[in-house]
Amino acid sequence: MATDENRIKTTNIGIGEYHVGSFCMSSIGLGSCVALIFHDQKRSVGAVAHIMLPESGGCGNRPGKFADTAVETLLMELTSQGSNKRNIEATIVGGASMFKQFSGKLDIGNRNIEAVRKKLKELNIPLKAEDVGEDFGRSVYYHPMKSGKVYVRRANGTCTDL
Amino acid sequence: MNLNEQQLDALKELGNIGASHAATSLSQMLMSEVHMTVPEVNIVDISDISEYFGDEICALVVFEIQGELLPGGYILVHLPQKSAIQLTNTMLGMTDTDREFNEMDESAMLEVGNIMVSQFLDATATLLGIIMIPSPPAIAIDMAHAAFETVVSQVLAPDINDVILFKTELSSAEHEIDSTIIMLPNSKTLEEILRLLQNLIGTQ
Repeated sequence: MATDENRIKTTNIGIGEYHVGSFCMSSIGLGSCVALIFHDQKRSVGAVAHIMLPESGGCGNRPGKFADTAVETLLMELTSQGSNKRNIEATIVGGASMFKQFSGKLDIGNRNIEAVRKKLKELNIPLKAEDVGEDFGRSVYYHPMKSGKVYVRRANGTCTDL
Repeated sequence: MNLNEQQLDALKELGNIGASHAATSLSQMLMSEVHMTVPEVNIVDISDISEYFGDEICALVVFEIQGELLPGGYILVHLPQKSAIQLTNTMLGMTDTDREFNEMDESAMLEVGNIMVSQFLDATATLLGIIMIPSPPAIAIDMAHAAFETVVSQVLAPDINDVILFKTELSSAEHEIDSTIIMLPNSKTLEEILRLLQNLIGTQ
């Protein structure tokens, strides 16, 4: 299973980036960052953002980088390409607390998760599935053409379909 | 962020001094020769960090730079999983390399990381004429990119999209151990370091 997934060519979404399309997308090695995935089941297209920080504070130069701007931007990109908002479902992955020794200070992961959830609720976008929090890294693969399948590989090697 | 040739050279020289002290301490701990690469200073866009760190498992020991420069940024010691296990084995006289990472490895990594980073910071701070002390270490045994991006998220101001990746590789061929020291100064600290370096060059 794991080896099959790795053979498929994917576009990696780096920190702060976002992509829209029907090709396979991935985000490798998510720590405190959160991968936000929007899938439109009707059109078999979707979008992925690699969110680094909870709030943009008016910093608009990289909309994929912040929870608040990323949720808005992915929705706007998909609807402007013909998606109906009613067909869009969200999945979130990541937001771990990677360093137990620095728990208070380095816990941006949890703040990222909360910020994304809040914004999704605000815009009425259903959160279909999530694999978030805890203390390990994750890689995520998203296949818009395979019914929007989301596949997560955790640092300890376990793999799950969300 | 833009650095000119002279600033890059000065930073590399600073890294060279820090890393050679760290290499000496590593060499003493391993009782073997340790080679170091010429320090590299790269200005890396956050979206390209995945070109430097993938999702392979590594040990990453993290220290906050404390002292006169607050908040100073972070300094990290990165070892691939195999090297980390080799390091523990070498220090404790064990030979089993085909094993899982355990608590003993974690303690060994914290200890070795602490000694290397203290040497690195002490040497560079002395040259600059300031005080830099490592915080108690934090450690993650996890995907390299996942651990690294978590530290970067701490250093970066929201409006900044690149990091100064300041790194030197130290390796022991005899024990097959590769390690990398990475300094992630926050932008104010970097400015201050560059200013102090400029003064040093100016007074020579």
